[in-house]
Amino acid sequence: MTPLLKSSLLTLVLVLTFVVGWEWYWRSQNLGLSYNDDESLWAHTRKEIYRSSPSRPVIIGSSRVKFDLDLATWEATTGEKPIQLALVGTAPRPLLTDLAKDPNFKGTLIIGVTEGLFFAPDGSFPEREATKRVNFYPRWSLSQQISFHINRVLEPWLYFLDEERLALRPLLTNLPIPPRPGTWGGPKFPKEFSIIQFDRQDVMTDAMVADTAIQHQVQAVWLDIGAHSPKQTMPDAMVTGILDSVKKSVDQIRARGGQVVFVRMPSDGPFYEAEKMSHPREKYWDRLLAHTRTPGIYFADYPALSKYRCPEWSHLAPKDAVTFTQDFIPILKQKTGWPIPIRPTQKPALTASLPPHQ
Amino acid sequence: MVFNSYSFALFFVLLLVLHNLPLPWKAKKINLLLASYLFYALWNPPFILLLWLSTVVDFYMARLIAREQRSAPRKLLLTVSLLLNLGMLSYFKYGGFLLENFTALLSAMGIAFQAAKPDIILPVGISFYTFVTLSYTLDVYRRKAEPEPSFLNFALFVTFFPHLVAGPIVRPEDLIPQFKEPHRATTQQMTWGLFLLSLGLFMKVVVADTLLADSADTVFGVPFPVQPLDAWMGVMAFSGQIFCDFAGYSTCAIGISLCLGFVLPDNFRYPYAAIGFSDFWRRWHITLSTWLRDYLYIPLGGNRKGAARTYINLMITMLLGGLWHGASWNFVIWGGLHGIFLCAERLIRDWSGKRQRSFAEQNRSDQVLSGTVAQASMVPISWNGRLGNFGLALLTLFLVDITWVFFRAPDFGSAMRILLSMFGVIPNGAALLTSLDILKVSSVTVILIACHWAMRNSSLVKLGARLPWWLLSLVWAVMLILLILTQKSSNSFIYFQF
Repeated sequence: MTPLLKSSLLTLVLVLTFVVGWEWYWRSQNLGLSYNDDESLWAHTRKEIYRSSPSRPVIIGSSRVKFDLDLATWEATTGEKPIQLALVGTAPRPLLTDLAKDPNFKGTLIIGVTEGLFFAPDGSFPEREATKRVNFYPRWSLSQQISFHINRVLEPWLYFLDEERLALRPLLTNLPIPPRPGTWGGPKFPKEFSIIQFDRQDVMTDAMVADTAIQHQVQAVWLDIGAHSPKQTMPDAMVTGILDSVKKSVDQIRARGGQVVFVRMPSDGPFYEAEKMSHPREKYWDRLLAHTRTPGIYFADYPALSKYRCPEWSHLAPKDAVTFTQDFIPILKQKTGWPIPIRPTQKPALTASLPPHQ
Repeated sequence: MVFNSYSFALFFVLLLVLHNLPLPWKAKKINLLLASYLFYALWNPPFILLLWLSTVVDFYMARLIAREQRSAPRKLLLTVSLLLNLGMLSYFKYGGFLLENFTALLSAMGIAFQAAKPDIILPVGISFYTFVTLSYTLDVYRRKAEPEPSFLNFALFVTFFPHLVAGPIVRPEDLIPQFKEPHRATTQQMTWGLFLLSLGLFMKVVVADTLLADSADTVFGVPFPVQPLDAWMGVMAFSGQIFCDFAGYSTCAIGISLCLGFVLPDNFRYPYAAIGFSDFWRRWHITLSTWLRDYLYIPLGGNRKGAARTYINLMITMLLGGLWHGASWNFVIWGGLHGIFLCAERLIRDWSGKRQRSFAEQNRSDQVLSGTVAQASMVPISWNGRLGNFGLALLTLFLVDITWVFFRAPDFGSAMRILLSMFGVIPNGAALLTSLDILKVSSVTVILIACHWAMRNSSLVKLGARLPWWLLSLVWAVMLILLILTQKSSNSFIYFQF
């Protein structure tokens, strides 16, 4: 046997040993299996929008609609699963513009509004990140689609294929290195915060729901983000410009027979207080509905939707997301008049929304 | 299809199986050709038509040129081939740029002209395969090579997937002879090929994409000045990123070819240990620099027409070499800077050569009388020593990094802003990079320079033969483990855009 062949065989043994050990280690941490919510998964979901209907709406927005609207519960209630296109930490406006420009989209759209993100100016980080996804979709090559389907086969079996939490980049980012004065490396969420399912549903982990220390860590991340966010009030002309562009997009969708509704999901504690201060309802939410002449559901207006507590001030726990969704659908139907078939209340679909291996 | 994707892994495994089946050699070549077309089509299927057009036209033009004895018709046939190849390249790559500059020129002359912005998508690898087919036709025209009688061999030479989209830019003599005889990788070639593939992917996915790209993107992406430390780190990050990205691609390509039993030419030879710019271009993108030398610099006259023409020829070659990289004035400036550095180096070499000759003559005549004085007037640091050479290599890298600013910056204004930030000319720049970013960039830069310096006069093959087998295995395993840790990265290679 040549030395090179011996090298390659030893390499194989070392690498396989590492992979087995690495997978075993992460399974033993009880973090839960999480799918990569990457461009390909988004593009794969985006392909579904042409089959949207009032009972199978397209959802855009930020993280709150991803945590709070439980897709499995929606499916159990209406018979169909929504198409979840919302993107964590981004402004949904580029997605709205994209859907409005797509002549074949004539469906139903739910737009989640987290004011700080929804009204993020053009060129800001939340807006740029959403634009990147939108731009990726038409360039999603056949090769990338094949890679996505191979990855889809591997991901349910391998915990460590979790780019968001367990890849080299997040592992390095979480190293305890003293910060450089005057710089900020971005938010550092605890690994136990949440997992993502293949249908792009975000779910808090059991550890997160049970452990107030982890909840406090996430609360500290929100405070950290707040401390690094722009403090100045948005000029009125800029708000009007954003409202004009949103109205244009909404009108384009409506002109093709589509339907739109805005929703404001619950937030809690100091986070909600800060949001009320930075983005007063009358200046942003009320203007948005009036300017676009579109119906909206603000959680605080409905006792059924405002009874929930957010463990980390911004998102609902999985159990609450189930009942919240059950309560939300009849309100949506009543508010919009959309023909949504509602089945008699069934057993909460929480188990259906948990990922395999949990 | 990019090498760092699951789709490629599947494609490559299936192709290896197919290539090792007991099939006739012609059938294996057809498999390779069809696989190469599939490899290309999975990006954007319609662009395969351009590849076919270029292949078919150059195959038949070269035959006609070889058959034709009269000078004028030969020139006409060559012109048709050049027009087609360079015309396609110009349209797709430079159409928008030309229109933009034409509009700006008219505007400067006071003529209001607003052209619709052309929506042209650049076909992947067009700059590379255009140069491959051009070298073939030019070689046949110059009677340096015979036209290839087999269309299959020629089509495979142009389309062979490892080099198709980002080089190495192969010449007919590199590859066509290898297609004439049955080739299958030996065990040694297969294992070494897999090692090279692992190394290339490690350089691209782990080093370029994960450790360096973010810092470079951050610094070059902001529209305001940054602190000198950030500016330098951003530039060094890009310097490492572009090397690891492009040399990583070439290493993958060479490794993949070797697994199939074919040898591709080297494209990089530790360029960040280069001493001077002529040495740099013997080590960086070697197949492009030799292409430019053989098909542009030498036909222009090279250094055979006097000193002034030599400098002019150098500048023309480097300016066009810069423009080859992309339709932007920044690339022209990048090429121009390299041209200026090459000219300056040549000037210094000529001047120091003359000085040494006159010093030697004078020394011979005054040897006895003034030996002590001559010794005392010599520079205390010997630039010929290892330390002096290392200093010169660092100076070369410093200047190369200055040129990378123009290569990476989105426009001239941004490039100047970064440069002024680097030298502290703009005060109160922003601090952008975190401690981790600085740690990553500086560690990678130091390791990269150390590796290049240590390997300056060696090669991977020699190193592989010298290392104990278990140590090679350990290095290989660490690279693969880091690759697995980094996970799927389907980022395109930087040079695909060229």
